[in-house]
Amino acid sequence: MPTTTQGYEGNTPAAAIAPSKQQMLPAKSVDTQAVLKRLQSELMSLMMGGDPGISAFPEEDNIFCWKGTIHGSKDTVFEGTEYKLSLSFPTDYPFKPPKVKFDTACFHPNVDVYGNICLDILQDKWSSAYDVRTILLSIQSLLGEPNTSSPLNTQAAALWINQEEYRKMVEKLYKPASA
Amino acid sequence: MAVETVLSSAFNLGVLDSMTDDSIEEILESWNGFSTATEALLKGKGDLSVGSDFISCVLLLCKHRLRELVQDHFFQVLEEMFEKAASMFWSHFDGYDEFALSKMDVFDVQEGIQQVLCKALEDLSLEKDYQEKCLLMLVHALQSHQEGTFNSDAVRSHIFSKYHLMISSVLMTSLPRHFPETLRFYFKQRLEELSVLMARDNEDLNETPNKDNMDLDERTKVSSRDGGMDIDDMYLDTKLSENNKLVKNIGKVVRDLRSFGFTSMTEDAYASAIFYLLKKKVHNLAGDDYRNSVLEPIKEWIQAVPLQFLYALLAYLGDSVSYDSSSCGLKSPLASHPSSCSPGVDTPSEGLVRWQLRLEYYAYETLQDLRIAKLFEIIVDYPDSCPAIEDLKQCLEYTGQHSKLVDSFISALRYRLLTAGASTNDILHQYVSSIKALRIIDPTGVFLEAVGEPIRDYLRGGNANGPGNTGDSLLEELNRDEGNQELSGYDEEFNTDDKQSWTNAECWEPDPAEADPSKGSRNRRKIDILGMIVGIIGSKDQLVNEYRVMLAEKLLNKSDYDIDAEIRTLELLKIHFGESSMQKCEIMLNDLIDSKRTNSNIKATMTCPSHAVPEQEEAEVSADVVNATIISANFWPSIQDEPLNVPGIVDQLLADYAERFHAIKTPRKLLWKKNLGTVKLELQFEGRAVQFTVAPVHATIIMKFQDQTSWTSLNLAAAIGVPVDALNRRINFWISKGIISESLGSEPDNHIFTLVDGMVDSGSNGTSTAVCEDLIAADEGGERSVASVEEQLRKEMTVYEKFIMGMLTNFGSMSLDRIHNTLKMFCVADPPYDKSLQQLQSFLSGLTAEEKLELRDGISRVFDLRNIPVRGQGSTILSSISGVQCCGQGAVAVSPEVSISRFTRFYCSFVLRMRQCAYKVFSSWTCSEIGFLAVLWRVVFCLAEAVADFFTRRL
Repeated sequence: MPTTTQGYEGNTPAAAIAPSKQQMLPAKSVDTQAVLKRLQSELMSLMMGGDPGISAFPEEDNIFCWKGTIHGSKDTVFEGTEYKLSLSFPTDYPFKPPKVKFDTACFHPNVDVYGNICLDILQDKWSSAYDVRTILLSIQSLLGEPNTSSPLNTQAAALWINQEEYRKMVEKLYKPASA
Repeated sequence: MAVETVLSSAFNLGVLDSMTDDSIEEILESWNGFSTATEALLKGKGDLSVGSDFISCVLLLCKHRLRELVQDHFFQVLEEMFEKAASMFWSHFDGYDEFALSKMDVFDVQEGIQQVLCKALEDLSLEKDYQEKCLLMLVHALQSHQEGTFNSDAVRSHIFSKYHLMISSVLMTSLPRHFPETLRFYFKQRLEELSVLMARDNEDLNETPNKDNMDLDERTKVSSRDGGMDIDDMYLDTKLSENNKLVKNIGKVVRDLRSFGFTSMTEDAYASAIFYLLKKKVHNLAGDDYRNSVLEPIKEWIQAVPLQFLYALLAYLGDSVSYDSSSCGLKSPLASHPSSCSPGVDTPSEGLVRWQLRLEYYAYETLQDLRIAKLFEIIVDYPDSCPAIEDLKQCLEYTGQHSKLVDSFISALRYRLLTAGASTNDILHQYVSSIKALRIIDPTGVFLEAVGEPIRDYLRGGNANGPGNTGDSLLEELNRDEGNQELSGYDEEFNTDDKQSWTNAECWEPDPAEADPSKGSRNRRKIDILGMIVGIIGSKDQLVNEYRVMLAEKLLNKSDYDIDAEIRTLELLKIHFGESSMQKCEIMLNDLIDSKRTNSNIKATMTCPSHAVPEQEEAEVSADVVNATIISANFWPSIQDEPLNVPGIVDQLLADYAERFHAIKTPRKLLWKKNLGTVKLELQFEGRAVQFTVAPVHATIIMKFQDQTSWTSLNLAAAIGVPVDALNRRINFWISKGIISESLGSEPDNHIFTLVDGMVDSGSNGTSTAVCEDLIAADEGGERSVASVEEQLRKEMTVYEKFIMGMLTNFGSMSLDRIHNTLKMFCVADPPYDKSLQQLQSFLSGLTAEEKLELRDGISRVFDLRNIPVRGQGSTILSSISGVQCCGQGAVAVSPEVSISRFTRFYCSFVLRMRQCAYKVFSSWTCSEIGFLAVLWRVVFCLAEAVADFFTRRL
């Protein structure tokens, strides 16, 4: 009965994950609690903050993996688009930045074809004062103000000067989230 | 004519040939003689002189074997005569048809009927007697002819029975339509007379010292009668003989009527008269008074009046088998003392016993109908109306018409209680009373459930005007008597339980059949009124929450710290709900106790500086006037926050107070909720002062008029810091008191409020002494200091709404279950997500109605943000179905003790759902995955298998 197993899997992944976590970080279980708390409160403030155009939510069973959504800001070439992101938090989260990448293909000087993002605060400029909200806002503003000096996508960086052409390119490459 | 007859009779017989002319001559002669003699005899009215002629003729004719002919002829003439008499008899009653009865004066009718009936009966009896005498003569003649050959008695009885048949058939055929009615009327009167007499007898016999105690209704009956009946001063004997005479009178009438073949009609008539009287008596006694038990008096009355009458009547008629009629005249049964007066205790005749049962049943039924019709009122004044309820219970035991009660009561409830106008408070009160009252009637509580259903439905349906409105006294009251009753009841119950369990087992009774079987028979329904109220509200937590809000409201409006009653209530509730669920309430009460201490502490330390600073004295407000209720906000229901700029001096005072508090209780700080609480203030006008107890807003408003007698509404609102519409609402209080007047300003929205000088029109306020206005009155604007449960819920739900929005934004469409689970997992805010699936569903439907969400699929309940394309619909359905399958199997595997019927029900409903589901898919054809259907049916088959397996294992 395949359906039964399916249901079984659906019902018990939490249990499956718990031991793996412990295997990875047997010593830091107390810290894990703190990370959980922190993520919870971030989620809370994000939900209650209600910033327009950005949103994120943990995946079904794992609070370390979030899905994010960013709308292209008004008056930029990305206006009217919606990008999905995935955020994965390290177990020592506030001290290390989360890994963020685009799920939706994004034609952008600082985003490569795999969705990896080149953003300083996600690497060396990371500070534990940042949170999901600031990350998402940064990425949202990054869309409109790319750093063309160190591009991941040189084609996009080159095209950036011509905004009209760029807009056409974005529209051509943009696939709504269902993809 | 006679000859013809003779000839016709001769035709058949061969004897005709043998007849000689002589014999024919002789026959003719004697026939003529017989005819004339008969004529003379019957029409002669008492002239029996022709008797000898008659006899000889008869004998002669009999010799010629014309006996039959003689008889027939005689009867024919008799019949003719009796017809005349009968028409005479009926003509007596011509004046008494229904129409006339309704028109005539009651008294006339009473007298008239009595006399007419007696006279008519007498006449008819005379006629009958005479005819019987004649008949006897014939019989004699016949007997003398047949002497030796036949049993003479047989002839006689044969002829008489024929005669009786004849007269009764004559009377019946000519019976006027209104005669039974007339008879009934007659009996009714005689019985009324009798009952009055007997009632008086009873009183005399009981030797009641004050005769004035006689029932008023009976007295009026007496006074409506003529003076001749007034026998107040007569002696007992006379009365008894009077009674006897009356009974004899009636008995005579009855006997006469019977002799004319009116047996059943007569019985009908007096039975209906007795029932009428009984009904009247029951209505008289029962009436609208529910404080006394009436069943016993009614039974006594039945014994005393109708049964006595019947006893006497039956005795008189000689029906009573066991009764020695000779002693009738010597010892009247009425002479016996009424308390021991079940007549014929020793040997009650069968007829009498049957009568008694009939009468009692009728009484029960009447009383029951009466009480059921008024059950609503009875329950309204429940504790006082206990006797009536006891009566009803007894009646129902006899009549068994419980369903009538249930139906009538439910319709009464629908009509009178469950209307938009009834306040929830009243409904709950009535509900509680109903519970208690119906418990008495039916200890098994079966039709309590039936009756309570509409109320519960209604209250649950949310038609209620908010259960917490002012219902705070309800719980208290409930607990007061409930507590007393139950706490004492508890021990009793536990003690008796062991003892009773055995007796219970022995005298087990099935649930009354009237109960809806679907309700199931829970064999022992405990008296748990609070439980039933919880049942209305839905869950314990909800009730506790509701109570908490109520309590908060109450505590905040208290001006002193007296919370004894609340503490008691809380303790009682703890017994019901357990310590933990009432914890928050307990903290609230503790807050108040602490507040009292802190308050006095702060004041003690503050009085010194206030003396030192004279300008505060000047402002006439010192710290003494402030009493603070310090609450731990976390444990209280959320409190309405309304901006309010209190006057400077008060603000200063509050700030000082807060500072002192901080000094005493570092690191805690005091945050004032300036819009809450009460203010006692005194307004001084020229020569008079008026006191008020108002809300802070009102006080602030009026204080603004201290230095400026006229304000525009915009300015005033700005100064106080409340919205203009709120101000307009609040200021109405002062306008209605005649202290501030309102006039239209230059702009339509900007009214001008002016202080009324001299309080000219406040004369309506009456006394210049303290007019303490109720805070409730001041608060009638509908503002409450504590957010109601609904508001709280809505507030909580807005948090969830944001979460739901968030997750749907990021994940696209989600099923209800997944939303529920996700909320459970991630929404750990305060308060954590604790709603049921149903609550969430209704909330989501609400959001759908607001067009924030979209319901993609009605069956699997997939929700989606509006205007976002749907994805993964089919798979969601699949996963949710596999979930169902698991749960279906789980039910079988995990709980083998689950009852067969329950499982079958579950299974049937499941299959039904599946069929609906499939139908929907077919009809709309939105789901492209064909595998879906396959899975669906596989699920059904799996379940069928599981069920079959389950049954085989069980069997």
